[in-house]
Amino acid sequence: MAEEKKKRAITRLESSALVRPLVNKMYMEGAAAGMEGRPVAWSMVNWWEGDIIMRAMDVTPVYPENYGTVCASDGIAQKYMGVSAAEGFPTHLCGYAQNTLGYSTEMKKAGQVPEGAPMGGMAKPTFMLCSEGFCDARYKWFQSLRQFWNVPVWTLPFPHPAYADLSLQDVHKVNVEYMAVELKGFIEFLEKLLGKKLDRDKLKMMLDNQEKVFKVWWDINELRKARPGPMHARDFWTMMVPCYYLAYDPETLAVYQQVYNEVKTRVEAGISAVPEEKYRLIFSELPPWHSLGFFDKLAERGWNFVTESPGYHPPPPMELNGGGDLLQRIARWTYWSYVNTGYRAAKMGYPTVGGAQPYYNWALEYKIDGILTHPLVTCRTATFWLTHSMNVLRDKLDIPGMSIQGDIVDLTVFDAATALNQAPAFEESMEHFRQVRKSKGLDW
Amino acid sequence: MTAKGLAKAKEIYAKRDLRVRELNAQGKKIMGYVCAYPTLEMVTAMDYVPFKILGSMDEPITKADTQVPTIICPMLRSMLDLGMKGKVDFIEGFLGAHTCDCTEKFCHLYQYNMEFPYYHFLDVPHIAHEASFGFLKSGLQLLQKTLEKHTGKKIDTDRLKEEIKKHNALRALVRELYGLRKQDPPLLSGSENLQIMLALMAMPIEEGSEMVRDIIAEVKERKVGRPVKKAGRLLLWGSPLTETSIVEMIESLNDNVVMDDICTGTRHFWPDVEITPDPLDGLAKRYLNDLKCPRTFRETTASFEEDQEARFGYIRDYAKDWNVNGIILQSMKYCDTHGYEVPAIKAYFDRIGIPAMYLEHEYTMVALAPLKTRVEAFLEMIV
Repeated sequence: MAEEKKKRAITRLESSALVRPLVNKMYMEGAAAGMEGRPVAWSMVNWWEGDIIMRAMDVTPVYPENYGTVCASDGIAQKYMGVSAAEGFPTHLCGYAQNTLGYSTEMKKAGQVPEGAPMGGMAKPTFMLCSEGFCDARYKWFQSLRQFWNVPVWTLPFPHPAYADLSLQDVHKVNVEYMAVELKGFIEFLEKLLGKKLDRDKLKMMLDNQEKVFKVWWDINELRKARPGPMHARDFWTMMVPCYYLAYDPETLAVYQQVYNEVKTRVEAGISAVPEEKYRLIFSELPPWHSLGFFDKLAERGWNFVTESPGYHPPPPMELNGGGDLLQRIARWTYWSYVNTGYRAAKMGYPTVGGAQPYYNWALEYKIDGILTHPLVTCRTATFWLTHSMNVLRDKLDIPGMSIQGDIVDLTVFDAATALNQAPAFEESMEHFRQVRKSKGLDW
Repeated sequence: MTAKGLAKAKEIYAKRDLRVRELNAQGKKIMGYVCAYPTLEMVTAMDYVPFKILGSMDEPITKADTQVPTIICPMLRSMLDLGMKGKVDFIEGFLGAHTCDCTEKFCHLYQYNMEFPYYHFLDVPHIAHEASFGFLKSGLQLLQKTLEKHTGKKIDTDRLKEEIKKHNALRALVRELYGLRKQDPPLLSGSENLQIMLALMAMPIEEGSEMVRDIIAEVKERKVGRPVKKAGRLLLWGSPLTETSIVEMIESLNDNVVMDDICTGTRHFWPDVEITPDPLDGLAKRYLNDLKCPRTFRETTASFEEDQEARFGYIRDYAKDWNVNGIILQSMKYCDTHGYEVPAIKAYFDRIGIPAMYLEHEYTMVALAPLKTRVEAFLEMIV
């Protein structure tokens, strides 16, 4: 008799299965647009600053960062990274960038999507869209891609105010107005390039939908503060893609509404995402996409990852002042996605702790027992604050941290076995600090 | 201190905090800053002595790794390390700037650890569209407000214009100094030049002008210690050099380093600030547009070749004016801003017939021997 397949420890949301068709549709749209000669943009994750305008102008964005994860999972990323190195690009650059530089070299050589490219490849771009957001080295990456694609590159601004400025409405006003003016310039650029005018009614409709998506996706994540945690980070990573890239789409809203209903039902029934929630954790940074089974092993031990890196979360309900002008609204949401954690800290009277702020806020609000960080060897942006964040949680909230090295594309760096060997010792640490917190009068 | 000219530069280079500690003991306040983007004219208008915070290739990082991972820019890690060891305890204020991604984060982390009484972060945009200048000007206005609040003094427009003139005077002298290396052999070596630049970033502006004036006179007259004629006349491009070791290694071979495009060289000093009715306009233009650094995105044009011309044409002009026959593209490991640039800039110089090589280093004194072998091979190819 065949051995019964072992049940996975994480109880996944049934509604998370509804997301896959949306993601597949996104990839197919990109390939189809290329084949049909419709405009295609290679776009960075831009935190909703430019996507919606491109969609309103019938441009199909494809996302090289996202495609990097596809190539990593497929195993072909190593080849593309080798090609990038042969072209003279340093090997310490972002893994996604190296992957795209290698892919572009191969595509240019072949004159078409290179053989073996997963998911139909990325179609030749009509233009490329950069964002200064979070990782501002990325515009250098797209600038470098110009040697392969003789198409214009547009860069959207993304102000990065100091943490001390985060409670100043006049700073916000200047920053949002600057972004809005630049969006006007982006629209003029597109109208000239594409020979058509922006349909503002369509843009408004998409923006209305996007704001609803933010709200419901935010509310889903708020429900995860419940004990036991109803939704594991694995479901978050599956479901973050539509909000990130397809927030304009009514189908995204419909799917998230179903997810909300399921998570709410779980909360009301006290259903946990793991068999027995012993520890509530934050996972910090992108996960090892190729080794997600690792989380089931930790779930067997009672580890429930109830939240994760804030940069991939939707913005909370808007608290910045501003008018209803469409471009100002778009700019304000993007900007809010960056400043909201500092803003909340000021409002709640939390200490200012630099890049550890989102983790500090959420560690308190989700009542976290530990943080597991995943430094990514080719991603300086994602990795910069991790050590500091662990220090802050340990020193200010008596929450311990553990670190497992990995990468966004290079699969060889992550060592699940070693990490699992460290788990018992880390559990002892979490137990110890739980007692310390209690002795200080904290309630978890 | 009593030394003058080259001896003074050498002394300050050897101990970069020497002069500022002396001044601090006399009651002068010191403002630390990073990179080439903080508007020092506003700093000196508030009677601060500006001091560029740099790392050290010579000192092992022993404390900063408890704060920041090892894949981050080694110079920034070293800067944090030195700070944590109390080596910048004379600094009263810290002016950070959004120059590259890691520097942005570094500034906040540095302040978190150092707790300087004054800290301001200048958010410099990466694009130079028309609106970007207004945005940067708003940032300068905010800087002015925080400086005024901290010091209890006002920045007077006329005073700021006077400060701009003083900084421009130093810039003109630095350009004159660089001009001494146009001839063959150059009157000044690349490593001496770097010593002078690093010293200038650790002393008051007018004192720096006086030192450069003395050096120009001294170098023109000196009979001993002049560089000798060599086959290679090299331009050095790339990330900041905080010690002369790499330049010395290069110049120990059959070449002179006669020009540079680095953050602790021409990039810091080259363009003047235009004096505009509102001086903040001139400052915004100089720092966002005229200062050439790969951290600023330049608009794409009709072709990649035209882009290259727009991005690197000024380096070609340097190469022509200083009669350069080879270019070394150096960058410390983990510098993304320079790393992405390498194939495009190399292709540009290959196309116009000036050989270029890429030299990546670890920002440490101990790993220079393999680099020397590579430079030797490069020189054999070009001379």
